[in-house]
Amino acid sequence: MAEHTVAAFDEDLGQISRLISDMGDLAGSMVGGATKALLNSDNALAQRVVSDDAIMDARQRELDDRAITLIAKRQPMADDLRHVVGSIRMAGDLERIGDLAKNIAKRVGTVGLSATPRDLSHSIDAMAQLVLIQVQGVVEEYAAGDAAALAKLRNDDERIDVKYTSVFRELLTYMMEDPRNITACTHLLFCAKNLERIGDHVTNIAENAYYVLTGTQLPANRPKQDETAMSAPAA
Amino acid sequence: MKPMLSTELNTPEVAVEKAKIEVKNLNFYYGQSKALKDINLSLPERSVTAFIGPSGCGKSTLLRVLNRIYELYPKQSAEGQVLLDGKNILDRSQDLNLLRTKIGMVFQKPTPFPMSIYENIAFGVRLYEKISKSEMDGRVEQALKRAALWTEVKDKLNASGLSLSGGQQQRLCIARTVAVKPEVILLDEPASALDPLSTAKIEELIDELQADYTIVIVTHNMQQAARVSKQTAFMYLGELVEFDRTEKIFTSPREKRTQDYITGRFG
Repeated sequence: MAEHTVAAFDEDLGQISRLISDMGDLAGSMVGGATKALLNSDNALAQRVVSDDAIMDARQRELDDRAITLIAKRQPMADDLRHVVGSIRMAGDLERIGDLAKNIAKRVGTVGLSATPRDLSHSIDAMAQLVLIQVQGVVEEYAAGDAAALAKLRNDDERIDVKYTSVFRELLTYMMEDPRNITACTHLLFCAKNLERIGDHVTNIAENAYYVLTGTQLPANRPKQDETAMSAPAA
Repeated sequence: MKPMLSTELNTPEVAVEKAKIEVKNLNFYYGQSKALKDINLSLPERSVTAFIGPSGCGKSTLLRVLNRIYELYPKQSAEGQVLLDGKNILDRSQDLNLLRTKIGMVFQKPTPFPMSIYENIAFGVRLYEKISKSEMDGRVEQALKRAALWTEVKDKLNASGLSLSGGQQQRLCIARTVAVKPEVILLDEPASALDPLSTAKIEELIDELQADYTIVIVTHNMQQAARVSKQTAFMYLGELVEFDRTEKIFTSPREKRTQDYITGRFG
């Protein structure tokens, strides 16, 4: 893309891109850290994820300020306008991903203290890996300007939904097998739900990023495979 | 993924229900120099169309062809067709006085006549119609109301038009244009010399006038084009680069040249 006649305009846009990139990296490290802490009962790592959320919030506020100032000062048009408005929305989703990762991290202590076998946590390991790949991928593909990859990534959320359904069933089975598992499994169920919600935010980011890059919206419908609402196992 | 950029030029995406003006294969020359190159576009009736582009792109030239005002100057010529309700106004047999009552024009700098506010409006009407004093009073009032100037000047209709502020003078010029009951109004940078409040009043006026008139506005102010028009034509070096719905032009134009211009990446 050619440079603007007013060089400061490019600098302002560049700062917004850098903030999105920073927030994306931070979201990836928070999601990765939270699941690692959960799987290893690592309280120190969990604590770091919790404190990282404050950094995430500060980045989002900074991005909001810069974006609003840029709109007021420079009245962006076309791809610049999409870039600024899209960034505001993407930052909102990244901030929510941070909140959800923090929520997982806060449960690490309780799950670790419970009498249940720690390997129950591993039921969500595969799901967490899928989510982490999505979080890291969406920021990378946006930075690379690859709209086709973003469209594919958005559809890949289906795999997380499928995984969530199976984790949900598995945890329910553990709880029915032994009521002493209920506390830990309930926390793990919340963690799984948080991961599934993170996947949804990644989907939103992919849709926004696609619009920023192309000026067209992806179709409203995408595959949805979360069947937990109608899949309670027979008692 | 569908390709984002069309390679076809001059392919307007504007759905025109009824075209008031159709420009077909229009070329324009200042002496030997070609200023407009094969322009084709349809301007919808009772709607605002904006022409944008850098200085020298031909947007004002195109506007000046629409009422043949260029003929006031030597060595300027147009080829092709400009159809007003299907009739070619570039035809030699076209009555220019009649044409200019149908297609009024307002210029960048307010140009009130050095006479009273009342006479500024009555003067033009008298050129084309013989009407009684009371009818004329009504006509002047109506025109000033249409131009949102009536409440400000109704108690001083005999004051000189030149005593008004710049913004009021411009609205007086619009009232003068409206008074002869045109069908099309051409606005050449109508607010570029005005303060923001006067500009807002002119834009509000344009918004109201489009219910009754087909309006074409040339403006360097892209936010203004985005605010007031329903469709926008981007011109560059005498070519019509892109013509589309205004929201499309300003959010996701098809052509890279349009994008570069409206985002400030030119030159």
